[in-house]
Amino acid sequence: MKARGLLKGAGLVAASAVLIVAVILAGILSFVYYNTAAGRVWGVPLRLLSAALVPGEDGYTFTGEELLGEDRWAMLIDEEGQVAWSLRKPDDVPEHYSLTDVASFTRWYLNDYPVQCRIREDGLLVVGAPKGSIWKHDIAMDIQVLLQLPVWFTMLFLLSLLCVLGLAWLVLRRWFRQAQQARDAARSDWINGVSHDIRTPLSVVMGTAAQLENAPDLSPERRRQAGIVRTQSQAIRDLVNDLNLTMRLDCAMQPLRKEFIQPEAFLRQTVADFLNGGLAEGFPLEMDLPAQPLPAIQADPFLLRRAVNNLLTNCVRHNAPGCPISVGARAEGGAVLLWVESGGAAAPSSGPGEPSQLEPDGGAAHGTGLKLVAQIAEAHGGRARFSRGSRFRCELRLPADGRSLS
Amino acid sequence: MAYRILIVDDEIALQRMVGEILAQAGYETDSALSCAQALDRLGAAPPDAVLLDVTLPDGDGFSLLEKLRESRDVPVLFLSARDEDADRLRGLGLGADDYITKPFLPQELLLRLRAVLRRVYPQEEGTVRLGGAEILWGKSLVRRNGETVSLTAKEFALLRKLWDAQGNIVTIDTLCQTLWDGPLVGYENTLMVHIRRLREKIEEDPSHPRYLLTVRGLGYRLAREVRP
Repeated sequence: MKARGLLKGAGLVAASAVLIVAVILAGILSFVYYNTAAGRVWGVPLRLLSAALVPGEDGYTFTGEELLGEDRWAMLIDEEGQVAWSLRKPDDVPEHYSLTDVASFTRWYLNDYPVQCRIREDGLLVVGAPKGSIWKHDIAMDIQVLLQLPVWFTMLFLLSLLCVLGLAWLVLRRWFRQAQQARDAARSDWINGVSHDIRTPLSVVMGTAAQLENAPDLSPERRRQAGIVRTQSQAIRDLVNDLNLTMRLDCAMQPLRKEFIQPEAFLRQTVADFLNGGLAEGFPLEMDLPAQPLPAIQADPFLLRRAVNNLLTNCVRHNAPGCPISVGARAEGGAVLLWVESGGAAAPSSGPGEPSQLEPDGGAAHGTGLKLVAQIAEAHGGRARFSRGSRFRCELRLPADGRSLS
Repeated sequence: MAYRILIVDDEIALQRMVGEILAQAGYETDSALSCAQALDRLGAAPPDAVLLDVTLPDGDGFSLLEKLRESRDVPVLFLSARDEDADRLRGLGLGADDYITKPFLPQELLLRLRAVLRRVYPQEEGTVRLGGAEILWGKSLVRRNGETVSLTAKEFALLRKLWDAQGNIVTIDTLCQTLWDGPLVGYENTLMVHIRRLREKIEEDPSHPRYLLTVRGLGYRLAREVRP
């Protein structure tokens, strides 16, 4: 999975780099084509112009006026620095030039006129364009610096690429997160609404069934049947509650109200409440607590009670009365281990060849009860471990001092 | 005299069922389907307690409770399909005496209503019977076989806590909290001594108790009725 992710990432970077290079090349070509097609070429073909200037007995003959264009001028400076021939030479362009003048204008401007030069046997041909029409710059560079340029350009290109990809990733992540939050909120609202609407009719079913169960004028058989309706209504109630809570934990919408809890007192109270609710009649329940006091844990008592309750309910639902259930705790390393164990395999079977270790979510596909246990353990920075052989056992490993288990 | 309970809920089926449960338990009942009706009924025949739904057609139970608290101090128990902590805390924060989440079992409703009524209208139960023993709460005495023995303060508190639990298991941690206002550590043996002394006062045969029963690993329960 990791190699696949890396490959995907490398592919994405390569594709982005190719895309950026393609866009830049296309841009450069468009720029050149656009300006060439519009005739915006700064230079004139000096070789052809020079060929068009021929010396004769009566002086020079020039046949390249069309090539030169209307707004340019030209002159030929001889070996002495004197203008030997000129065409449309402006008045502010001198007739005589020293060595330093020539060195200067061949590189830069001649009296602010941008000029091009070509060396001939009889002197120097100078072609001038109107002032302000052409920008000239002399480029000279240390060869070492020049050799570094490809490396620098590549690095800068990659850096820009990373910045672009990083920005795109941030924007996309934010966008996906917002979309996820909207979906979570909609799901949460829907489940909340359904669970709210189901509670009132379920109250009537559960209450009426409980009344019939205790009605002295009904036959024992009818009362037993009413008891079945009551028990099944309670199962639906538990399912609705679990569904609601599991969804809230999934969407991180359930705030944890952590308190310091003494594991022994907490387990005794939870088991006593379970027994007082009449939910474990006929199931011998045994407490397995160490003689030495256990370290306190930091946990949300409501959620943790729910987890232990779900495990106890699970043991009762999937075993016949008479099956012993054991609840205990012990300290292990920096953690406290709470467990619930029952004699039978108190979890739905996963078919032939089933492993002794249940799937990490405790067989969540079969119901929300055990999934919720795992979620609650994780929300407390701990772990739930389900195992089943001849006995069902769930261990909740919770950090003793509120720190996450590594 | 029976307590009069006003049930405010817009679901007629639920209202009827709660009415029957309360009537069977010996309460008088009155009902209202909306906030307006509830205020009417409160004015006409003041109840001893109100069972109040949160979602009502012409308002919500929280506002009704606030309005109600302005004029009278009747105990209110919310009976709501809203199970979120925020709603529960809001209800209790506004001064409700309890918040029961639907769906509930009749027994749970009765126990919690009884607990609220006992707290709000304390009545000194004169004498209760546990088999051959007669407990005189007012005088902290136990009378058995014509003999009268007094209960120490700790024994009285212990017996009262177990009696109030109505046959349910009370953990050793809760008992220690009641007696010494602290955790169990260091008090296990002292608690056992108090239990043994209490058994000597209320049981026929303290070595084979029939009323004050040990629930191994958890705590104790006081059986009010003993099966033959």
